[in-house]
Amino acid sequence: MSQQVWKLVIVAEEVLSKKLTKLIKEAGATGYTVNAAGGEGSRNVRSTGEPSVSHTLSNVKIEVLTGTRELADKITREIEKKYYADFSIITYIYQVEALRDHKF
Amino acid sequence: MNEFLTLFLQQLQSPTLGFLIGGIVVASLGSQLAIPDSIYKFISFFLLMKIGLTGGIAIRNSNPSEIFLPALAAVLIGIVIVFISRWTLGRMPGIKVPDAVATGGLFGAVSGSTLAAVLPGLDAAKVPYEAWTAALYPFMDIPALVTAIVVASVYISKKTGQAEKVEIWPIIKESLQSSAVTALLMGVALGILTKPEPVYESFFNPLFKGFLSILMIIMGMEAAQRMNELRKVAQWFAIYAFIAPIVHGFLAFGLGLIIHKLTGFSIGGAVVLAVIAASSSDISGPPTLRAGIPSANPSAYIGASTAIGTPVAIAICIPLFIGIAEMMLGRIN
Repeated sequence: MSQQVWKLVIVAEEVLSKKLTKLIKEAGATGYTVNAAGGEGSRNVRSTGEPSVSHTLSNVKIEVLTGTRELADKITREIEKKYYADFSIITYIYQVEALRDHKF
Repeated sequence: MNEFLTLFLQQLQSPTLGFLIGGIVVASLGSQLAIPDSIYKFISFFLLMKIGLTGGIAIRNSNPSEIFLPALAAVLIGIVIVFISRWTLGRMPGIKVPDAVATGGLFGAVSGSTLAAVLPGLDAAKVPYEAWTAALYPFMDIPALVTAIVVASVYISKKTGQAEKVEIWPIIKESLQSSAVTALLMGVALGILTKPEPVYESFFNPLFKGFLSILMIIMGMEAAQRMNELRKVAQWFAIYAFIAPIVHGFLAFGLGLIIHKLTGFSIGGAVVLAVIAASSSDISGPPTLRAGIPSANPSAYIGASTAIGTPVAIAICIPLFIGIAEMMLGRIN
C-alpha cells in the first residue's frame, strides 16, 4: 500500500518561487507543495513574520516528492546551475514513505 | 525666505508625514505593532486604483496630446537616473557596479506611496495640477528598471567575458504585470472607458486620505526595519539615498518647468513629475531587480530605498517642491 519515494526540500527566496516550480514541473515531477518559510542563514535573517513590503526578503519552502533519486538529482542540478551563486537557497533530500502508491 | 520656511514647516505637520514619522518611531522602539501584509497590499491597490481613476477621468476630459512631452520627460529621467548612479555611486571606493546600478534602478523607479502622498499635499496647498500626471508613473518606472538591468548585464558580461543577451521584453512585461502598475493602469482605463464617478465619489475619494495615513505608518515601520540592513553595507549607499531623491527631484522639476514654458503644463504638474522622480520604488521594483540583476546585493538597494530614499522623498522633497511651486505662483514674496 505504500511506496518508498524521495522528498526533495528547497528553501529559497520567494522571488524564485514561480521559476522553481516551473523548473520542477519541466523536469518531470508530478507535483509539489509550497509553504511560506522564515529563518536565518548565511545571508541574514529572512522571515515571513514581519510586514514585508516588497517580498524580496520573504522565503518559501518547496517540497517535491519524486519516485526516483535521478529525478530529484536532476532538479537539484538545474537549481544549482541557475541559482546557487546569487540567491539564498538550500536544498536537502531524504527518503520517505508515500502512503498513496502508484502516484509517483 | 521666512515665509518659505513657515510653509515648509506646515508641510512637515501634514498628516501624511506625521503618520510616517509615527511608524518610524514605534518600529524603532521595538513595538510589536504589526499591520498584516494583506492589508498593506489592499491599501496600496486601493490608492493606486483611486489615483488611476482620477487620472483616467481627467484624460477623458482633456486633450491626450498634452501628455506627450511630460511622458517623454518621465522616460528620459528614468533612464538618466540609472546612469547618474552608475557614474557617481558606482565609482565610490568599495562599491560594486551592479549594486550601484540596481540602486539607481530602484531610485529611478517610482513609489506608489510617495505618489499617493504628493497629490493630497498639492490639493491642500491649492496648487493646481493636471490629474493625469499620476499616469506618468509607468513612463518613468519601466524605463528605469529596464535600463538598470541592461546596464548591469552589459557590465557583468564585459567583466566576465561571457556575453549574455538581455531580453528586454520580459522585463517590461513583468513591470506591466506588477500589482502596482496593473492597479494604476486599470484605474486609468476604467476612468477613460467607463463612468466610475458614483463609486469614485462615494468610496474611493472619501477613503483615500485615511488609507494613505495607514500606508504611511507601514512605510515608516518598514523604513526603521530596513535600517538594520543598510547598516551592513557601505555608507555610500546611505549618503546616496539621502542626496539622490533631492537631485532627481530638481532635475525633473527643471524639465517640468521647461515643458511649462513650452506647452503650458502646470507648475503643479511639474511638482508631481519632480516627486515621481524623487521617489524610489518599494513594491514592484525590488523583486524585478532581484530577478534581473541577481548578483547585486538586495540589502544595499532595498535598504537605501526603503530606509532612507522613501522617507526623504516624502518628508523633504514633497514639502520642498510644493513650497517652490507656491513661491512661483506668487503666493510668497
